[in-house]
Amino acid sequence: MDLFPLYNSLRVAAISTVITFFTGIAAAYYIAKTPRVVKGVLDCVLTLPMVLPPTVVGFFLLKTIGPLGPVGSRVLELFGAKLVMVWYSAIFATTIVTFPLMYRTVRGAFEAFDETLLYSGQTLGLSNTYLFWRVMMPNCKQGILAGTVLAFARALGEYGATTMVTGYIPGRTATISTTVYQLWREGNDILAYKWVAINLIISAAVLVAVNMLENRYRQPRSAAKDILSDEEGVGVP
Amino acid sequence: MKRCAGTRRSFALLLIVGFLALSPASAYAVELSVFAAASMTESMNRVAEAYRAIVPEVTIVYNFDSSGTLKTQIEQGADCDLFISAGQKQMNELDITADPAVNKGGLNFVREGTRFNIVSNQVVLIVPKGQNKRGIADFRDVTTDKVALVALGNSDVPVGQYSEEIYRNLGLWDQLKEMNRITYCSNVKEVLSQVAAGAVDCGIVYGTDAASAADKVDVVAQAPKGSHRPIVYPAGVMRATQKPVEAIAFAKYLQSPECVAIFERHGFSKPGE
Repeated sequence: MDLFPLYNSLRVAAISTVITFFTGIAAAYYIAKTPRVVKGVLDCVLTLPMVLPPTVVGFFLLKTIGPLGPVGSRVLELFGAKLVMVWYSAIFATTIVTFPLMYRTVRGAFEAFDETLLYSGQTLGLSNTYLFWRVMMPNCKQGILAGTVLAFARALGEYGATTMVTGYIPGRTATISTTVYQLWREGNDILAYKWVAINLIISAAVLVAVNMLENRYRQPRSAAKDILSDEEGVGVP
Repeated sequence: MKRCAGTRRSFALLLIVGFLALSPASAYAVELSVFAAASMTESMNRVAEAYRAIVPEVTIVYNFDSSGTLKTQIEQGADCDLFISAGQKQMNELDITADPAVNKGGLNFVREGTRFNIVSNQVVLIVPKGQNKRGIADFRDVTTDKVALVALGNSDVPVGQYSEEIYRNLGLWDQLKEMNRITYCSNVKEVLSQVAAGAVDCGIVYGTDAASAADKVDVVAQAPKGSHRPIVYPAGVMRATQKPVEAIAFAKYLQSPECVAIFERHGFSKPGE
């Protein structure tokens, strides 16, 4: 059995999760500080890809990074490289579609974060960078982890936008989702079922791993929560 | 309670007025569900317009997609009165009178005596308009380095089946598949879109599709003579239709000189040719 779709799906999902991890957290951090109106507008724009049908996202992508589009034709001229119908085209699709998931989850975590910790840190003369990486991030671990898992799972299961920008080239751009569709169209149900099983196993494994991590993070802090107060917890609800 | 009675009375009045207003127009109105191969989109839309002028009570509702998809939908029980396929294979799979080697499921969806051949088509090689830098000029060029990516219909799509047949007859199919340069599309219009967008170097579609997108694609070659079976589109009324009279009337209309002229204007030829 040709296992290329498995390898391709995993690498696309992994790379796009890394990208959304950093961009989502950065966006959540900086946008949380902006005035309300700006925040509202940015929120709407950045969450849009999550609510748009993936085929709409795929259409816009094709018109932009396709060889006749403004970005695609420029890149073709300057670097001679194609942005569509190659395996990394899927990364554009999955990053755009999963970014809102990471962004909103992390923003929720940051907004529930108790700012008095930051203030205390500032009175002690700690830099903003130190406060972000050593105080804020560790306390929002759960939210960030949840966002990352959602982003990875969504990237693994991306179909609509992916199929439009990468097509289906066995051995070069096939992902698990596009392969299952093609196998169904060809009437090859047995192989389709095999891929469905593989996908289920991976998704289940990821979710179980996440559950285990979440429990590990939760236990040590519950004692601290009891000591501090009844209404206000520290960090993420 | 008083308010309720008043509201109920005005609602009833509204219903009665509504029925009165609608009934003369809807005394006799029929919707025909026609499933047709994607390559017939433009021509069948013209046919529906022409038919509405003659028989205004009948509205044609289309479902255009690859014949393989349509055949699967019909098999699963979709509501279809008339089916037009781009290949005999899909119609044979639904016809009890066809060769049992093809109609393996013994399916009996086609109303007997209503099957006929409607049009015939050509298969051509197309490139994005004005973007044939490497001078692709022949079907055999796909295995050379003139072509990095070619879009074909997948094996459930008639044009994909014809493409495979052509390359098997040219002795290039296995080699082409090994080269990992085919992107498989779900219907002929998707092949057309990929070529029009310049996402692939070339693609194989019907002559009629190339003609319908003449501003976006260029035809560089016609399929070599004898490299594939004649491309004849069969049509048939479905056994399960609730409107056999209207469906058979429309099927007869499709064979009239008026419709033949519409099809020829879109690039189809008569089924006999």
